[in-house]
Amino acid sequence: MFTKVGLSILASVMVLSTMLAGCSNGSGDDEKTISVWAMGEEGKKLNEIAKKFEDEHPEIKVDVQAIPWENAHDKLLTAVASQKGPDVVQLGTTWVSEFADAGALVDLSEHVKDHPEFAKENYFEGAAKTMEYDGKIVGIPWYVETRVLFYRKDLLEQVGYTNAPSTWVELKDASQKLADRGDNYYGFDIDRNDQIMPFIFAWQNDFEFDEEKQNLNLDSPAFTEAIQYYTSFFEEGLSSTSEGIDIVQAFKDGVKPMFVSGPWMVNILNEQAPDLKDKWSIAILPKKEQVASSIGGSNFSIFSSSEKVEKSIEFISFMNEVDTQIEWFEMSNTLPSRVEAWEEPELKDNEMLATFGEQLKTAKSTPQIENWEVVGQELLNAIEQITVGGADVEKQLEKYRSEVKEARE
Amino acid sequence: MGSGVKRIYHKRHPYLFIGPAVLILLVFSIVPIFVAFFISFTDLDLKGLANWSNISFIGLENYHELFRDDVFHKSIFNTVFYAGIGVPLVIICSLSIALLLNYGSNLLFKVFRGVYYMPSITNIIAIAVIWGYLYNTEYGLFNYLLSLLDADKIPWLEEPTIAKLSLILLAVWKGVGINMIIFLAALQGIPKSYYEAAKIDGANRFQMLFRITIPLLRYATFFVTITTLIGWLQFFEEPFVMTQGGPLNGTISMALFIYQKGFQFSQFGYAAAGSFVLFIFIIVVTLVQFKIRKSDTEY
Repeated sequence: MFTKVGLSILASVMVLSTMLAGCSNGSGDDEKTISVWAMGEEGKKLNEIAKKFEDEHPEIKVDVQAIPWENAHDKLLTAVASQKGPDVVQLGTTWVSEFADAGALVDLSEHVKDHPEFAKENYFEGAAKTMEYDGKIVGIPWYVETRVLFYRKDLLEQVGYTNAPSTWVELKDASQKLADRGDNYYGFDIDRNDQIMPFIFAWQNDFEFDEEKQNLNLDSPAFTEAIQYYTSFFEEGLSSTSEGIDIVQAFKDGVKPMFVSGPWMVNILNEQAPDLKDKWSIAILPKKEQVASSIGGSNFSIFSSSEKVEKSIEFISFMNEVDTQIEWFEMSNTLPSRVEAWEEPELKDNEMLATFGEQLKTAKSTPQIENWEVVGQELLNAIEQITVGGADVEKQLEKYRSEVKEARE
Repeated sequence: MGSGVKRIYHKRHPYLFIGPAVLILLVFSIVPIFVAFFISFTDLDLKGLANWSNISFIGLENYHELFRDDVFHKSIFNTVFYAGIGVPLVIICSLSIALLLNYGSNLLFKVFRGVYYMPSITNIIAIAVIWGYLYNTEYGLFNYLLSLLDADKIPWLEEPTIAKLSLILLAVWKGVGINMIIFLAALQGIPKSYYEAAKIDGANRFQMLFRITIPLLRYATFFVTITTLIGWLQFFEEPFVMTQGGPLNGTISMALFIYQKGFQFSQFGYAAAGSFVLFIFIIVVTLVQFKIRKSDTEY
C-alpha cells in the first residue's frame, strides 16, 4: 500500500517537474549546440541554411526553434523573466530597444572590430540605426523590408493614370476617381492595424521623431497634417472602415485597387492571383515634402543569458555573409540587409526588387525607445476613435500625446 | 512529540492523496495571487523583470491610475454586460437542451448530445476562423442569409454594442455543452418514484417540471451558476481572438485589458493591479451567491 502511494507521488512529482522543464527550453544542452529562435516563416526555413553552417563549422551544432510571430513577444518576455533565453534570437526591429533596455541583449561592440561584416556601413541606413541602443551594438540586421505601393495598372489607366500616383495630391485624386466607379468600390486601402502606416505619411510630410523630447515631437504640425491626410481617406469613403473582403481577393476583384504592403505580398499575389499577372505593379510611395517609407525587418541578437557568445557570433557572421544572404533571399524571398548584396545580379536585374531597393534608400526606422509598442498602438486606437467613432482629430491627438508622455515618464 | 509524529503517520493516507492537488493549487494559484498582490504595488516592467533591482515600490499609484483609466472603466462595463446577458442565457439554454435530451435515449438523442457538446471541445482558434467568416460584413453567411430576406447588412463585429452581442452569441454556443452534461447527469439522478407518485396524483407535465425537476436540480443549478459566472467574469478568449477588444474598445473585457497592459505594453505592475481588482470582484460576486443560497429553504 505504502509503496503504491509513494509511487503515485513520485509519478506526480515527475510529471510536474517535466512540465516545469518544458517551460524553460532555453540555451542548448551540450557545449557544442547553440539554440536559435527564429520567428514566423523564417523559423521554418532556417534549418536548411543552418545545416550549411554546420558543414562549414563541424564544431558547432545549431538547434533552430520556430516560433510563430503571434507568440513571439510573450515567449521572449518569459525568456527574460526566467533568464533562460536562447543563444541567438531573431528580433523584429521595433522590439530591439525594448529588450535592449531591459538588458536582455549582449553588447557586441568589441566583436564588431574582429568582424568587418558587422560594420554599420554595410547596411542600409535605416537598418543600421536599429543596431545600436544606448551606445552599444545590440543586434546585426539580418533582413529588411520596406513598404511600397501596390496598384492595378489596368484600373489606374482607366481613370487616366499611366503611372502610379507619385504625390499626395495625385494619390488622393486617383483614389477619388477609383472610388467613384460605383458603390462599394474603394480607392486606396489603408490597413488600420498597421502601426507604421500613419508614421510613413508623417515622414513623407517632413516629420522627424525627436527622442530627446518627451512627446517625441508628436506635436509638430507636420504630424497632425499627416494624420488628417490619413483619416481623410476614411472620411471621404476612399478606404474601407470595415474588415470586408481579404485584401488579395479585393485587389483581384478591383474593389481595392491600391494598397501599401511589403515584399511578402509579391509572392502572395503571384500565388493567389496568378490570372492578375501583368495587371499589377509596384511603385515607390507617393511623396509630399519628401519620398519616405518605413524600414522594418529583423536583427540577430545574442541573449544575455547565453554562455556561448563566441559560437553565436560565428553563426551570425555566417548568416550575414553576402553569399549566404543571397542564398537566403532565394530561399525565403526576404530582402538582404547588406547593401552589397543588392549589387548581385539576382537582385539587381529584377525589376520589382529594384523598386524595393530604391524605396529602401529613403526608408526610415522607428525611434529606438523602449515604449514603442505604446506609441504605435495608442495612435491606432486614437485613429479608430476618429475614423469609426467620429471624434475630432485635434482632440484625439492631444489625448494621444499625453498618453505617450505618460508612458515615457 | 513522538506520539504526534506517529499520529500524523497513521493518518497519512488522506494527506497523501490530496497532497499533489494541494501542491499544484499552491504553486500555480495561491502563490501567484500573493505575487500579483505584491507586484501591483510596484512599477514592474520588462526592465524590472530582467533585473529585480530596477523595481521600485510605488504604493497605490497603480490603483489610482486604474480608477482614472477610461479604458478600464469600459472594460468593467463590458464585463458586466457580458456576464449579465451571457450567464442567464447559458443556464437557460443548457437546462432546456438537457431537459429535451432527457426525453429519450435512442440513437438520435445520442447524436444530439454529441452535437451540443462538440463546441465545448473545439479549439477556440478554429472557432474564431469559422465564426470570423460567418460574421464578415461583406461576404459572411449571416449577412448573406439576411440579404435573401432583403434585410440590411448587420456590422456584426464592427459596431461596439452589436459586437458585444455577437461575442455573447458565440460564447453561449461554446459554453452550453459542458453545462448541459452537468444538468443531464443531475436529471438522471432524480428518482423515478417522484414522477410516478405525481402521475398518480394527476399532475401534468408542467407541474412535474416546475414542482419536481427544477427544485431537485438546484444543486446542479447552483454549481453551474457559480462556475459559469466566474468564467464569464474572466471573459477573454472570444474578444482576444475575434476583435482584440475593438471596435473603439467596445468588446474589451477586464481580462483582456489585463493581458494587453501586461503582455503587449509590458506594464506588469499596472496589469497586476487590474487583475487584483478582478480577483476581488469575483470573490465578492461568489460570496454573494453563497449567501443567497444559504437562505433558500430545504426540501
